[in-house]
Amino acid sequence: MQATGLTLSGISHRYAGMLAVSEVNLEVRPGELIALLGPSGCGKTTLLRIVAGLMRQSAGHVVIGEKIVDALPTNERGAGIVFQNYALFPHMTVAANVGYGLRAAGVDKAKTAETVQRMLALVKLDAMAARYPRQLSGGQQQRVALARTLAVSPKLLLLDEPFGALDKNLRLDMQIEVKRLQRELGITTLMVTHDQEEALSMADRIAVMNKGCVEQFGTPEEVYDAPETLFVAGFVGTTNLLPGTLGLSGAEPVVDLAGGGWLTLPVARPCSSPGQVVLSVRPEHLRFAAPEEPGIEATLQLSLPLGALTVHELALSGGQPVKVIVQRGASGPRHAPGDKVRLALVPGAVPAVFRPAAATALAA
Amino acid sequence: MNGSSRFLRRWQLLLPLGLFFFTFVFLPLVLLGYISLHNDMGFKEFGTGQYLKFLGDGFNLGVLGQTLWLAARTMMLALLLGYPLAYCFTLASSKWQRVLILIIVLPLLTSAVVRTFAWVVILGRQGIINSLLLNLAWIEAPIKLLYTPAAVVVALAQIEMPLMVLPIINALSKQDPNLREASLSLGAGRWRTLLLVTLPLSLPGMLAGCLLVFAAAASAFVTQTLVGGGQLMFMPFYIYQQAIQSNNYPFAAAIAMVLLVAVLVIVTLVNVAGRSIKGVAHA
Repeated sequence: MQATGLTLSGISHRYAGMLAVSEVNLEVRPGELIALLGPSGCGKTTLLRIVAGLMRQSAGHVVIGEKIVDALPTNERGAGIVFQNYALFPHMTVAANVGYGLRAAGVDKAKTAETVQRMLALVKLDAMAARYPRQLSGGQQQRVALARTLAVSPKLLLLDEPFGALDKNLRLDMQIEVKRLQRELGITTLMVTHDQEEALSMADRIAVMNKGCVEQFGTPEEVYDAPETLFVAGFVGTTNLLPGTLGLSGAEPVVDLAGGGWLTLPVARPCSSPGQVVLSVRPEHLRFAAPEEPGIEATLQLSLPLGALTVHELALSGGQPVKVIVQRGASGPRHAPGDKVRLALVPGAVPAVFRPAAATALAA
Repeated sequence: MNGSSRFLRRWQLLLPLGLFFFTFVFLPLVLLGYISLHNDMGFKEFGTGQYLKFLGDGFNLGVLGQTLWLAARTMMLALLLGYPLAYCFTLASSKWQRVLILIIVLPLLTSAVVRTFAWVVILGRQGIINSLLLNLAWIEAPIKLLYTPAAVVVALAQIEMPLMVLPIINALSKQDPNLREASLSLGAGRWRTLLLVTLPLSLPGMLAGCLLVFAAAASAFVTQTLVGGGQLMFMPFYIYQQAIQSNNYPFAAAIAMVLLVAVLVIVTLVNVAGRSIKGVAHA
C-alpha cells in the first residue's frame, strides 16, 4: 500500500471565543508516526478531531495526500480513529466490529470474512471472533479497536490517547505492538498523548504543543537534547531550571547562577544574547567534580539508588534544589548526605539557555 | 450496629409507600377480583360465570381486540413520531434542549380532558382542519375526522408522546458519542450509523417507551370516549357502562380484570422478547 502524507497548514480553531488551536503548521511524511504531545487542554485532541473531520477548523487547511479535505465529512476522509475508550460497538461481536467498515464500503460477505480473519490474526485475536467486547480484557479490546480501524486500510491512523486506559505492563506491550503494526503496514499515524515517555519511545517525530501552538516539531532526540523553548525543556523529560545571568565577555559563554556559582557553556542557545536567562540542565548532564575544579557549590541532601542509576537531590548555596543523576558505580568522588560538593557539566553536555518566562512575556 | 437492624431500618423507610400501595392498589384489586367472582348482581352466588360470559361472547372479545389494537397502533405512531424528536433533542445545543424539553413535557402538565377537547376542536365538523380544507376548496363538504379510530390513535399518540420520548432521550444521551464518531471514521454514512449503531443501542429506551404508551393508551378512558364518540366501544368505556349505567358490578369487575391481565401479558411478552435481543440488554 502506498503511504499517504498529511499536511496541516495554518490551522486555527476558535472554541467559545477561545483560541483552542492557533496557526498550526505540520508536515507529516508518508509512513511517519507523529506524536502530538502536550498537557491536557493544549489543543492536541482538537487538532486530531479536525484532521478526522469530526470538527471543522476556523481557519487553515487539512491536506491528506495531495487533496484538500476541508469540505469532506468524516466518512469520506479515510482517517481511522482509535479512541481512548476504544468505542467498540457493544451489540456486535468482535468479528462484526472488525468487519463493520468493510461492510459499509460495500465489500461482500465472503471477502469481509476473509479480511476480518486476517486482521484478527494480525492482532493475535483469532480465537475471539465470536465474543462480545464486554467479554474481553482492556488490552484485547484495544487490539480489536486497532484491527477494526486497520481493516478498512485507512490513509491515516489517528490514535487518541490510545494507551491511557491500560495498566503499566500492558501499556508497554501494546506500545510495542502498535509500533510493530505501524512499521509493518507503513501507515501514516498521528498519535495524541500527554505521556512524554510514550511520545519519546514511539514517535518518529514529536510535535510538542502548549496553549494551542506547536512549540517544537522534531525528532525525539532534538526535542530532548535541544529544546527550543522553556516549555519544551520543562515538559519533555526532567530538567533543572536555574535562573542566572548570561555573560559573553570571555571566549566561552558563562552563566552566573542566581543560586550561587557559575557554569561555562560550550555554546549559548537557543538564546545567545547576554542578560537575564534561565538555564535548563538535565540531571544526567551534571556530575560531581573534584574540589579543585571550577563548578557550582552545593550541599547533598538525599541519594536515591534506582537500579542502574542514582538520583541525588542537592541544594545550591542559595537554597535552590537541583537534581543530579549518575550511573551507579561510575568513577568520581563519593559523597554522603550533608557533604559540601562541587557540580560541573558532563563533557559534551549542552544545557539550553532561555529568556525567563516573565521577560519573554514582556517582549511579546 | 449489625446487618439485621440496618435491614429493619430500610424496611421502615419503605413502610409509608408500602402501606399506601397495599391500601389503595392491592386491596382494591383484591376487592375487584372478589366482586368479579360472583355470578349474580346481588353478590349471592359465587363463581366464574362473569368470565365465562365475557369470553364466550364475540362482541366482548371484539371490544378487547379493538382496545388492544388501538393501543398497539398508538404505540407505533408514537414511536414513529417520537424517535426522530428524541434524536433531534440529543443533537440540539443545550440552549435548544431547554426549549425542546419544555415542549416535550408540556402535554404532561395539562389535564387529559383539556388536551382531548383541543383535539375535538381540531377534528370536529366545524373544526380547524375541516375549515381550512373547505377554505382552500380542497373538499366540498366537511369530512368525518372526529369519532373515527384513526382520530383516537392520533390524539392518543400526541397525548402519550412524553411517555415515549423521555425514555428514548434517556437511552440516546447515555450512548457514548465516540461510537457514532467511530462509525463515521470507519466510512459509514450518517444513515448507516443511525441504523446500525444509534438505533439498536437505543432499543432499551424504545422498549420502555412502547410499553408505557401501550399500557396508557389501552386505558385512556377520557380520550377514547370523547374523540372516539359513542359508536366506538373500548374496554374502559365498557367497564364504565356496565358498572355505572347497568349497575352490573360483577361483570364490570370481570371486564376490568380481563383488560388488566391482557395488558400485563402483552407487556411481559414484549419485554421478554426485547431483552432477549443479543447484546442490547448489556449495552
